[in-house]
Amino acid sequence: MSPVIPVGPYHPALEEPYKIELDCDGEAVREAHITVGFNFRAIEWLAERKNYTQDLALVERVCGICSNVHTLTFSRALEQLAGVEVPARAQHIRVVVHEAERLHSHLLWAGIAAEVIGFQTLFMTCFALREKVMDLLEAVSGNRVNYAMNKPGGVTRDIVDPGMVAATAQAIRTAMEREIIPVFTTDRTVRARCAGVGVLTRDEALAWGALGPVARASGLPQDIRKAAPYEIYDRLDFEVPVRPEGDVLARIVVRALEIVESCRIIEQAVDGMPAGPIDAGDFIPVPAGEACARIEGPRGEVFYYVASDGSDVPLRVRIRTPTFQNMPTVALMVREQTLADVPLIQASIDPCYSCTDR
Amino acid sequence: MEPETILESLRVTAAWEVRGDGHWVEAPDLDVRAMARLLLSVEARWVTLTVSPVPGGGFRLLYHWDLAGRLLNIATTVPEGLTQSIADIWPAADWAEREARDYYALEFAGRDELPALMLRPEDEPGLFSRTRELGHDADPADAARVDASRGRRDAGGEP
Repeated sequence: MSPVIPVGPYHPALEEPYKIELDCDGEAVREAHITVGFNFRAIEWLAERKNYTQDLALVERVCGICSNVHTLTFSRALEQLAGVEVPARAQHIRVVVHEAERLHSHLLWAGIAAEVIGFQTLFMTCFALREKVMDLLEAVSGNRVNYAMNKPGGVTRDIVDPGMVAATAQAIRTAMEREIIPVFTTDRTVRARCAGVGVLTRDEALAWGALGPVARASGLPQDIRKAAPYEIYDRLDFEVPVRPEGDVLARIVVRALEIVESCRIIEQAVDGMPAGPIDAGDFIPVPAGEACARIEGPRGEVFYYVASDGSDVPLRVRIRTPTFQNMPTVALMVREQTLADVPLIQASIDPCYSCTDR
Repeated sequence: MEPETILESLRVTAAWEVRGDGHWVEAPDLDVRAMARLLLSVEARWVTLTVSPVPGGGFRLLYHWDLAGRLLNIATTVPEGLTQSIADIWPAADWAEREARDYYALEFAGRDELPALMLRPEDEPGLFSRTRELGHDADPADAARVDASRGRRDAGGEP
Protein backbone atom coordinates (compact mmCIF):
# COMPACT_ATOMS: atom_id res chain seq x y z
CA MET A 1 0.00 0.00 0.00
CA SER A 2 1.35 3.43 -0.96
CA PRO A 3 1.79 5.83 1.92
CA VAL A 4 -0.13 9.10 1.80
CA ILE A 5 1.89 11.88 3.38
CA PRO A 6 -0.06 14.94 4.52
CA VAL A 7 1.92 18.17 4.55
CA GLY A 8 0.23 21.09 6.26
CA PRO A 9 -2.04 22.94 6.64
CA TYR A 10 0.47 24.53 9.00
CA HIS A 11 4.15 24.63 8.09
CA PRO A 12 7.23 25.33 10.17
CA ALA A 13 8.71 27.77 7.66
CA LEU A 14 5.60 29.15 5.98
CA GLU A 15 3.23 31.50 7.73
CA GLU A 16 0.37 30.76 5.36
CA PRO A 17 -1.77 27.63 5.62
CA TYR A 18 -2.50 25.14 2.88
CA LYS A 19 -2.40 21.37 2.65
CA ILE A 20 -0.85 19.03 0.12
CA GLU A 21 -1.39 15.29 0.41
CA LEU A 22 1.19 13.22 -1.40
CA ASP A 23 0.53 9.67 -2.60
CA CYS A 24 4.01 8.15 -2.58
CA ASP A 25 5.76 5.05 -3.80
CA GLY A 26 8.82 5.00 -1.60
CA GLU A 27 10.49 8.36 -2.08
CA ALA A 28 8.67 9.08 -5.35
CA VAL A 29 5.50 11.15 -5.47
CA ARG A 30 2.79 9.52 -7.56
CA GLU A 31 -0.04 11.99 -7.08
CA ALA A 32 -0.77 15.15 -5.09
CA HIS A 33 -4.01 16.64 -3.76
CA ILE A 34 -4.09 20.30 -2.77
CA THR A 35 -6.46 21.84 -0.24
CA VAL A 36 -6.84 25.60 0.16
CA GLY A 37 -9.40 27.85 1.81
CA PHE A 38 -7.92 27.91 5.31
CA ASN A 39 -7.64 31.71 5.08
CA PHE A 40 -10.92 32.28 3.25
CA ARG A 41 -12.11 35.82 4.06
CA ALA A 42 -14.94 36.27 1.49
CA ILE A 43 -13.39 39.51 0.28
CA GLU A 44 -15.56 39.53 -2.87
CA TRP A 45 -18.64 39.31 -0.65
CA LEU A 46 -17.35 42.03 1.67
CA ALA A 47 -16.52 44.29 -1.27
CA GLU A 48 -20.17 44.17 -2.36
CA ARG A 49 -21.20 45.56 1.02
CA LYS A 50 -18.69 48.37 1.46
CA ASN A 51 -18.40 51.60 -0.47
CA TYR A 52 -15.66 52.21 -3.03
CA THR A 53 -13.48 54.09 -0.55
CA GLN A 54 -13.68 51.25 1.93
CA ASP A 55 -13.11 48.72 -0.86
CA LEU A 56 -9.86 50.38 -1.86
CA ALA A 57 -8.48 49.66 1.61
CA LEU A 58 -10.07 46.20 1.59
CA VAL A 59 -8.54 45.01 -1.68
CA GLU A 60 -5.12 46.24 -0.57
CA ARG A 61 -5.39 43.50 2.09
CA VAL A 62 -5.93 40.70 -0.43
CA CYS A 63 -2.17 40.17 -0.42
CA GLY A 64 0.55 41.21 1.98
CA ILE A 65 3.25 41.32 -0.69
CA CYS A 66 1.57 42.49 -3.90
CA SER A 67 -0.90 44.79 -2.16
CA ASN A 68 -0.26 47.64 -4.59
CA VAL A 69 -1.30 45.61 -7.62
CA HIS A 70 -4.76 45.08 -6.13
CA THR A 71 -5.51 48.75 -5.58
CA LEU A 72 -4.11 49.48 -9.05
CA THR A 73 -6.30 46.88 -10.75
CA PHE A 74 -9.39 47.90 -8.79
CA SER A 75 -8.75 51.58 -9.53
CA ARG A 76 -8.30 50.87 -13.22
CA ALA A 77 -11.62 49.00 -13.34
CA LEU A 78 -13.34 52.05 -11.80
CA GLU A 79 -11.53 54.39 -14.21
CA GLN A 80 -12.77 52.25 -17.10
CA LEU A 81 -16.33 52.48 -15.76
CA ALA A 82 -16.13 56.24 -15.36
CA GLY A 83 -14.14 56.89 -18.54
CA VAL A 84 -11.48 58.74 -16.57
CA GLU A 85 -7.98 59.36 -17.94
CA VAL A 86 -5.21 59.25 -15.36
CA PRO A 87 -2.73 62.17 -15.58
CA ALA A 88 0.64 61.36 -17.14
CA ARG A 89 2.71 61.98 -14.00
CA ALA A 90 0.45 59.69 -12.00
CA GLN A 91 0.92 56.96 -14.61
CA HIS A 92 4.69 57.23 -14.25
CA ILE A 93 4.43 57.07 -10.45
CA ARG A 94 2.12 54.07 -10.68
CA VAL A 95 4.67 52.24 -12.84
CA VAL A 96 7.54 53.06 -10.47
CA VAL A 97 5.69 51.67 -7.45
CA HIS A 98 4.29 48.74 -9.45
CA GLU A 99 7.78 47.68 -10.55
CA ALA A 100 9.30 48.33 -7.12
CA GLU A 101 6.69 45.97 -5.73
CA ARG A 102 7.76 43.38 -8.32
CA LEU A 103 11.37 43.86 -7.19
CA HIS A 104 10.34 43.41 -3.57
CA SER A 105 8.33 40.28 -4.38
CA HIS A 106 10.93 38.67 -6.65
CA LEU A 107 13.85 39.40 -4.31
CA LEU A 108 11.91 38.03 -1.37
CA TRP A 109 11.17 34.93 -3.39
CA ALA A 110 14.77 34.60 -4.65
CA GLY A 111 16.02 34.73 -1.07
CA ILE A 112 13.55 32.09 0.07
CA ALA A 113 14.42 29.90 -2.91
CA ALA A 114 18.11 30.19 -1.99
CA GLU A 115 17.27 29.26 1.58
CA VAL A 116 15.22 26.24 0.48
CA ILE A 117 18.09 25.15 -1.75
CA GLY A 118 20.41 25.47 1.25
CA PHE A 119 22.43 28.40 -0.07
CA GLN A 120 22.47 30.67 2.97
CA THR A 121 24.88 33.32 1.68
CA LEU A 122 22.75 33.81 -1.43
CA PHE A 123 19.70 34.15 0.81
CA MET A 124 21.43 36.94 2.75
CA THR A 125 22.56 38.67 -0.46
CA CYS A 126 19.01 38.65 -1.87
CA PHE A 127 17.50 39.95 1.35
CA ALA A 128 20.08 42.72 1.63
CA LEU A 129 19.05 43.88 -1.85
CA ARG A 130 15.40 43.56 -0.92
CA GLU A 131 16.01 45.95 1.97
CA LYS A 132 17.04 48.62 -0.53
CA VAL A 133 13.69 48.18 -2.27
CA MET A 134 11.81 48.32 1.02
CA ASP A 135 13.65 51.52 1.91
CA LEU A 136 12.70 52.95 -1.49
CA LEU A 137 9.04 52.07 -1.04
CA GLU A 138 9.05 53.49 2.47
CA ALA A 139 10.62 56.73 1.24
CA VAL A 140 7.99 57.08 -1.49
CA SER A 141 4.89 55.95 0.39
CA GLY A 142 5.76 55.99 4.08
CA ASN A 143 5.11 52.25 4.33
CA ARG A 144 7.05 49.05 3.73
CA VAL A 145 3.88 47.21 2.71
CA ASN A 146 0.33 48.37 1.96
CA TYR A 147 1.55 51.57 0.35
CA ALA A 148 -1.89 53.16 -0.19
CA MET A 149 -0.45 54.82 -3.29
CA ASN A 150 -3.32 54.24 -5.72
CA LYS A 151 -6.69 55.92 -5.82
CA PRO A 152 -9.26 55.92 -8.58
CA GLY A 153 -8.01 58.56 -10.99
CA GLY A 154 -4.39 58.67 -9.95
CA VAL A 155 -2.07 58.34 -6.98
CA THR A 156 -2.16 59.68 -3.44
CA ARG A 157 1.43 60.93 -3.23
CA ASP A 158 4.04 62.43 -5.50
CA ILE A 159 7.62 61.19 -5.81
CA VAL A 160 9.64 64.03 -4.38
CA ASP A 161 13.10 62.55 -4.90
CA PRO A 162 13.16 60.81 -8.29
CA GLY A 163 16.97 60.78 -8.29
CA MET A 164 17.01 58.51 -5.25
CA VAL A 165 14.54 56.14 -6.93
CA ALA A 166 16.61 55.91 -10.11
CA ALA A 167 19.86 55.43 -8.17
CA THR A 168 18.35 52.62 -6.12
CA ALA A 169 17.05 50.87 -9.23
CA GLN A 170 20.44 51.20 -10.88
CA ALA A 171 22.25 49.82 -7.82
CA ILE A 172 19.92 46.80 -7.68
CA ARG A 173 20.31 46.17 -11.40
CA THR A 174 24.10 46.25 -11.10
CA ALA A 175 24.08 43.85 -8.14
CA MET A 176 21.75 41.49 -9.93
CA GLU A 177 23.86 41.43 -13.09
CA ARG A 178 27.21 41.11 -11.29
CA GLU A 179 26.35 38.91 -8.31
CA ILE A 180 23.01 37.15 -8.22
CA ILE A 181 22.19 36.22 -11.81
CA PRO A 182 25.61 34.57 -12.40
CA VAL A 183 25.09 32.47 -9.27
CA PHE A 184 21.54 31.44 -10.14
CA THR A 185 22.47 30.59 -13.74
CA THR A 186 25.90 28.97 -13.39
CA ASP A 187 26.40 27.71 -9.84
CA ARG A 188 26.70 23.90 -9.75
CA THR A 189 24.72 23.60 -6.52
CA VAL A 190 21.80 25.58 -7.87
CA ARG A 191 21.80 23.66 -11.14
CA ALA A 192 22.06 20.29 -9.42
CA ARG A 193 19.17 21.17 -7.16
CA CYS A 194 16.86 22.81 -9.68
CA ALA A 195 17.56 21.74 -13.28
CA GLY A 196 15.03 19.21 -14.55
CA VAL A 197 13.08 19.35 -11.29
CA GLY A 198 9.34 20.04 -11.14
CA VAL A 199 8.72 20.35 -14.87
CA LEU A 200 5.51 21.93 -16.16
CA THR A 201 5.27 21.58 -19.93
CA ARG A 202 4.06 24.35 -22.21
CA ASP A 203 0.83 22.49 -23.03
CA GLU A 204 0.15 21.84 -19.36
CA ALA A 205 0.78 25.48 -18.50
CA LEU A 206 -1.70 26.58 -21.15
CA ALA A 207 -4.40 24.04 -20.25
CA TRP A 208 -4.17 24.82 -16.55
CA GLY A 209 -4.10 28.56 -17.09
CA ALA A 210 -0.67 29.14 -15.56
CA LEU A 211 0.30 32.78 -15.26
CA GLY A 212 3.28 35.07 -14.87
CA PRO A 213 6.77 33.68 -14.34
CA VAL A 214 5.37 30.14 -14.02
CA ALA A 215 3.90 30.36 -17.53
CA ARG A 216 6.90 32.18 -18.98
CA ALA A 217 9.27 29.55 -17.58
CA SER A 218 7.21 26.97 -19.49
CA GLY A 219 7.63 28.74 -22.81
CA LEU A 220 4.47 30.88 -22.85
CA PRO A 221 5.42 34.49 -23.71
CA GLN A 222 2.44 36.04 -21.92
CA ASP A 223 2.74 39.36 -20.11
CA ILE A 224 -0.12 41.85 -19.93
CA ARG A 225 2.37 44.72 -19.89
CA LYS A 226 3.21 43.78 -23.50
CA ALA A 227 0.01 42.09 -24.70
CA ALA A 228 -2.42 44.72 -23.42
CA PRO A 229 -0.28 47.61 -22.17
CA TYR A 230 -1.60 49.86 -19.44
CA GLU A 231 -0.28 53.12 -17.97
CA ILE A 232 2.95 53.92 -19.90
CA TYR A 233 4.17 50.39 -20.69
CA ASP A 234 3.67 50.81 -24.44
CA ARG A 235 6.31 53.56 -24.37
CA LEU A 236 8.94 51.69 -22.34
CA ASP A 237 11.81 49.55 -23.56
CA PHE A 238 11.89 46.22 -21.73
CA GLU A 239 12.13 42.51 -22.42
CA VAL A 240 9.89 39.68 -21.24
CA PRO A 241 12.18 36.79 -20.27
CA VAL A 242 10.89 33.41 -21.44
CA ARG A 243 12.47 29.99 -20.93
CA PRO A 244 11.34 26.75 -22.54
CA GLU A 245 12.47 24.22 -19.90
CA GLY A 246 9.53 24.49 -17.51
CA ASP A 247 11.59 23.40 -14.49
CA VAL A 248 12.44 25.05 -11.18
CA LEU A 249 15.64 26.48 -12.61
CA ALA A 250 13.73 28.14 -15.46
CA ARG A 251 11.36 29.76 -12.95
CA ILE A 252 14.37 31.06 -10.99
CA VAL A 253 16.07 32.43 -14.09
CA VAL A 254 12.91 34.11 -15.40
CA ARG A 255 12.35 35.94 -12.12
CA ALA A 256 16.00 36.93 -11.82
CA LEU A 257 15.98 38.40 -15.31
CA GLU A 258 12.68 40.13 -14.59
CA ILE A 259 14.33 41.94 -11.68
CA VAL A 260 16.78 43.49 -14.12
CA GLU A 261 13.95 44.48 -16.46
CA SER A 262 11.97 46.04 -13.60
CA CYS A 263 15.02 48.15 -12.70
CA ARG A 264 15.27 49.30 -16.31
CA ILE A 265 11.56 50.17 -16.32
CA ILE A 266 11.87 52.20 -13.11
CA GLU A 267 14.87 54.09 -14.47
CA GLN A 268 12.93 54.96 -17.66
CA ALA A 269 9.73 55.87 -15.78
CA VAL A 270 11.66 58.25 -13.52
CA ASP A 271 13.72 59.67 -16.36
CA GLY A 272 10.67 60.56 -18.44
CA MET A 273 8.41 61.66 -15.60
CA PRO A 274 6.54 64.81 -16.65
CA ALA A 275 5.40 67.60 -14.38
CA GLY A 276 1.71 67.93 -13.69
CA PRO A 277 -1.13 66.74 -11.49
CA ILE A 278 -1.12 63.33 -9.87
CA ASP A 279 -4.85 62.63 -9.88
CA ALA A 280 -7.87 63.38 -12.01
CA GLY A 281 -10.14 64.43 -9.15
CA ASP A 282 -12.94 62.55 -7.44
CA PHE A 283 -15.44 60.65 -9.55
CA ILE A 284 -16.98 58.31 -6.98
CA PRO A 285 -19.68 56.98 -7.18
CA VAL A 286 -18.96 55.56 -10.60
CA PRO A 287 -21.64 55.31 -13.29
CA ALA A 288 -23.71 52.16 -13.70
CA GLY A 289 -22.10 49.49 -15.82
CA GLU A 290 -19.46 46.79 -15.69
CA ALA A 291 -15.74 46.75 -16.39
CA CYS A 292 -12.68 44.55 -16.22
CA ALA A 293 -9.05 45.36 -15.50
CA ARG A 294 -5.90 43.27 -15.78
CA ILE A 295 -2.47 44.01 -14.38
CA GLU A 296 0.74 41.98 -14.60
CA GLY A 297 1.49 41.39 -10.93
CA PRO A 298 4.72 39.82 -9.65
CA ARG A 299 3.12 36.36 -9.77
CA GLY A 300 1.18 36.96 -12.98
CA GLU A 301 -1.99 38.52 -14.24
CA VAL A 302 -4.34 39.97 -11.61
CA PHE A 303 -7.93 40.25 -12.85
CA TYR A 304 -10.78 42.36 -11.46
CA TYR A 305 -14.38 42.60 -12.60
CA VAL A 306 -16.55 45.35 -11.11
CA ALA A 307 -20.27 45.89 -11.72
CA SER A 308 -21.91 49.13 -10.60
CA ASP A 309 -25.53 50.27 -10.27
CA GLY A 310 -24.44 53.86 -9.92
CA SER A 311 -24.47 53.87 -6.13
CA ASP A 312 -21.37 54.13 -3.95
CA VAL A 313 -21.33 50.37 -3.32
CA PRO A 314 -20.43 47.94 -6.12
CA LEU A 315 -22.94 45.32 -7.22
CA ARG A 316 -20.31 42.68 -7.87
CA VAL A 317 -16.56 42.46 -7.43
CA ARG A 318 -14.69 39.48 -8.85
CA ILE A 319 -11.02 39.02 -7.98
CA ARG A 320 -8.88 36.38 -9.74
CA THR A 321 -5.36 36.24 -8.38
CA PRO A 322 -2.41 34.55 -10.12
CA THR A 323 -1.76 31.93 -7.45
CA PHE A 324 -5.39 30.84 -7.78
CA GLN A 325 -4.43 29.64 -11.29
CA ASN A 326 -0.85 28.60 -10.55
CA MET A 327 -1.43 26.58 -7.40
CA PRO A 328 -3.17 23.59 -9.09
CA THR A 329 -0.17 23.18 -11.40
CA VAL A 330 1.94 22.08 -8.41
CA ALA A 331 0.08 18.77 -8.53
CA LEU A 332 1.50 18.26 -12.04
CA MET A 333 5.00 19.48 -11.14
CA VAL A 334 5.52 17.08 -8.23
CA ARG A 335 4.50 13.89 -10.04
CA GLU A 336 7.37 11.38 -10.22
CA GLN A 337 9.58 13.76 -8.24
CA THR A 338 11.25 12.85 -4.99
CA LEU A 339 9.58 13.75 -1.73
CA ALA A 340 12.56 15.91 -0.75
CA ASP A 341 12.02 18.14 -3.78
CA VAL A 342 8.38 18.95 -3.01
CA PRO A 343 9.10 22.01 -0.81
CA LEU A 344 11.34 23.50 -3.49
CA ILE A 345 8.82 22.78 -6.25
CA GLN A 346 5.91 24.34 -4.42
CA ALA A 347 8.09 27.33 -3.51
CA SER A 348 9.05 27.69 -7.17
CA ILE A 349 5.61 29.02 -8.11
CA ASP A 350 6.04 31.75 -5.48
CA PRO A 351 2.69 30.82 -3.95
CA CYS A 352 0.51 33.29 -2.12
CA TYR A 353 -2.25 31.59 -0.17
CA SER A 354 -3.60 34.86 1.11
CA CYS A 355 -4.21 35.87 -2.51
CA THR A 356 -5.67 32.48 -3.32
CA ASP A 357 -8.09 32.37 -0.42
CA ARG A 358 -9.11 36.05 -0.57
CA MET B 1 -8.67 33.63 -35.27
CA GLU B 2 -10.45 36.97 -35.02
CA PRO B 3 -13.13 37.58 -32.39
CA GLU B 4 -15.79 37.95 -35.11
CA THR B 5 -15.00 34.47 -36.42
CA ILE B 6 -15.39 33.05 -32.93
CA LEU B 7 -18.97 34.33 -32.72
CA GLU B 8 -19.75 32.94 -36.17
CA SER B 9 -18.33 29.55 -35.22
CA LEU B 10 -20.41 29.53 -32.03
CA ARG B 11 -23.53 30.66 -33.94
CA VAL B 12 -23.91 33.65 -31.71
CA THR B 13 -26.01 36.24 -33.53
CA ALA B 14 -25.12 39.20 -31.30
CA ALA B 15 -22.09 41.30 -32.19
CA TRP B 16 -19.14 42.17 -29.99
CA GLU B 17 -19.23 45.43 -28.11
CA VAL B 18 -15.62 46.58 -28.36
CA ARG B 19 -14.51 48.69 -25.41
CA GLY B 20 -11.32 49.79 -23.74
CA ASP B 21 -11.44 46.76 -21.47
CA GLY B 22 -12.04 44.17 -24.17
CA HIS B 23 -14.75 42.59 -26.28
CA TRP B 24 -18.15 41.95 -24.70
CA VAL B 25 -21.07 39.88 -25.92
CA GLU B 26 -24.32 38.55 -24.48
CA ALA B 27 -25.10 35.05 -25.70
CA PRO B 28 -28.11 33.66 -23.79
CA ASP B 29 -28.13 30.35 -25.69
CA LEU B 30 -24.38 29.85 -25.60
CA ASP B 31 -23.07 26.29 -25.86
CA VAL B 32 -20.33 26.68 -23.25
CA ARG B 33 -18.62 23.42 -24.16
CA ALA B 34 -18.45 24.38 -27.83
CA MET B 35 -17.00 27.72 -26.72
CA ALA B 36 -14.40 25.96 -24.58
CA ARG B 37 -13.36 23.57 -27.36
CA LEU B 38 -13.11 26.36 -29.92
CA LEU B 39 -11.03 28.61 -27.68
CA LEU B 40 -8.73 25.72 -26.83
CA SER B 41 -8.18 25.04 -30.52
CA VAL B 42 -7.11 28.65 -31.16
CA GLU B 43 -4.78 28.73 -28.13
CA ALA B 44 -6.77 31.34 -26.29
CA ARG B 45 -6.01 31.60 -22.59
CA TRP B 46 -8.42 30.98 -19.75
CA VAL B 47 -8.81 34.01 -17.50
CA THR B 48 -11.71 33.21 -15.18
CA LEU B 49 -15.45 32.86 -14.70
CA THR B 50 -17.55 35.54 -13.01
CA VAL B 51 -20.90 34.38 -11.66
CA SER B 52 -23.51 36.94 -10.70
CA PRO B 53 -27.02 36.27 -9.40
CA VAL B 54 -29.80 37.62 -11.60
CA PRO B 55 -32.68 39.45 -9.87
CA GLY B 56 -35.68 37.14 -9.92
CA GLY B 57 -33.57 33.99 -10.08
CA GLY B 58 -30.88 32.32 -12.10
CA PHE B 59 -27.34 33.39 -12.79
CA ARG B 60 -25.31 35.30 -15.34
CA LEU B 61 -22.10 33.51 -16.22
CA LEU B 62 -19.38 35.71 -17.66
CA TYR B 63 -16.52 33.73 -19.19
CA HIS B 64 -13.31 35.72 -19.56
CA TRP B 65 -10.67 34.64 -22.11
CA ASP B 66 -7.50 36.17 -23.45
CA LEU B 67 -7.06 35.99 -27.22
CA ALA B 68 -3.63 37.33 -28.13
CA GLY B 69 -3.93 40.13 -25.59
CA ARG B 70 -7.61 40.87 -26.25
CA LEU B 71 -9.94 40.18 -23.36
CA LEU B 72 -13.06 38.35 -24.53
CA ASN B 73 -16.00 38.57 -22.13
CA ILE B 74 -18.71 36.11 -23.16
CA ALA B 75 -21.88 36.20 -21.06
CA THR B 76 -24.66 33.68 -20.86
CA THR B 77 -27.47 33.05 -18.43
CA VAL B 78 -28.76 29.96 -16.67
CA PRO B 79 -32.31 30.08 -15.29
CA GLU B 80 -31.65 27.37 -12.72
CA GLY B 81 -28.58 26.50 -10.73
CA LEU B 82 -27.13 24.12 -13.29
CA THR B 83 -24.80 24.53 -16.24
CA GLN B 84 -22.30 22.44 -18.20
CA SER B 85 -18.79 21.99 -16.88
CA ILE B 86 -15.84 22.80 -19.11
CA ALA B 87 -13.20 21.57 -16.65
CA ASP B 88 -12.55 18.41 -18.68
CA ILE B 89 -11.68 20.61 -21.68
CA TRP B 90 -9.97 23.35 -19.66
CA PRO B 91 -8.51 22.06 -16.38
CA ALA B 92 -7.87 25.74 -15.68
CA ALA B 93 -11.61 26.13 -15.03
CA ASP B 94 -11.68 23.49 -12.29
CA TRP B 95 -11.14 25.77 -9.30
CA ALA B 96 -13.41 28.51 -10.69
CA GLU B 97 -16.28 26.01 -11.03
CA ARG B 98 -15.70 24.71 -7.51
CA GLU B 99 -15.65 28.27 -6.23
CA ALA B 100 -18.92 29.05 -8.04
CA ARG B 101 -20.52 26.16 -6.22
CA ASP B 102 -19.14 27.39 -2.91
CA TYR B 103 -20.53 30.89 -3.39
CA TYR B 104 -23.75 30.36 -5.37
CA ALA B 105 -24.56 26.62 -5.16
CA LEU B 106 -24.17 26.51 -8.93
CA GLU B 107 -23.84 22.92 -10.12
CA PHE B 108 -21.78 21.88 -13.16
CA ALA B 109 -23.01 18.88 -15.13
CA GLY B 110 -20.47 16.41 -16.47
CA ARG B 111 -18.11 16.42 -13.51
CA ASP B 112 -17.40 13.29 -11.49
CA GLU B 113 -17.19 15.40 -8.38
CA LEU B 114 -17.45 19.04 -7.40
CA PRO B 115 -15.78 19.33 -4.01
CA ALA B 116 -15.72 22.50 -1.95
CA LEU B 117 -12.74 24.77 -2.59
CA MET B 118 -12.99 27.66 -0.14
CA LEU B 119 -15.61 26.15 2.13
CA ARG B 120 -15.22 23.17 4.41
CA PRO B 121 -16.32 19.80 3.01
CA GLU B 122 -19.29 19.67 5.37
CA ASP B 123 -20.46 23.21 4.56
CA GLU B 124 -23.57 23.71 2.52
CA PRO B 125 -22.73 25.32 -0.86
CA GLY B 126 -24.08 28.72 -1.79
CA LEU B 127 -22.58 30.87 0.96
CA PHE B 128 -23.01 34.15 -0.95
CA SER B 129 -26.55 33.29 -2.05
CA ARG B 130 -27.60 32.36 1.47
CA THR B 131 -26.11 35.46 3.01
CA ARG B 132 -27.82 37.61 0.36
CA GLU B 133 -31.09 36.28 1.73
CA LEU B 134 -30.20 37.98 4.99
CA GLY B 135 -30.14 41.38 3.37
CA HIS B 136 -27.50 43.60 1.88
CA ASP B 137 -26.35 45.05 5.18
CA ALA B 138 -26.27 41.78 7.07
CA ASP B 139 -23.38 41.02 9.38
CA PRO B 140 -21.08 38.43 7.76
CA ALA B 141 -21.15 36.47 11.02
CA ASP B 142 -24.82 35.76 10.36
CA ALA B 143 -23.74 33.32 7.68
CA ALA B 144 -22.23 31.13 10.37
CA ARG B 145 -25.45 31.34 12.37
CA VAL B 146 -27.34 30.15 9.31
CA ASP B 147 -25.03 27.14 9.28
CA ALA B 148 -25.50 26.55 13.00
CA SER B 149 -29.28 26.66 12.71
CA ARG B 150 -29.06 23.90 10.12
CA GLY B 151 -27.08 21.71 12.46
CA ARG B 152 -23.72 22.31 10.85
CA ARG B 153 -20.42 23.14 12.47
CA ASP B 154 -19.98 26.69 13.56
CA ALA B 155 -17.14 28.90 12.32
CA GLY B 156 -13.72 28.13 13.77
CA GLY B 157 -13.44 24.54 12.64
CA GLU B 158 -11.18 23.25 9.93
CA PRO B 159 -12.06 24.25 6.37
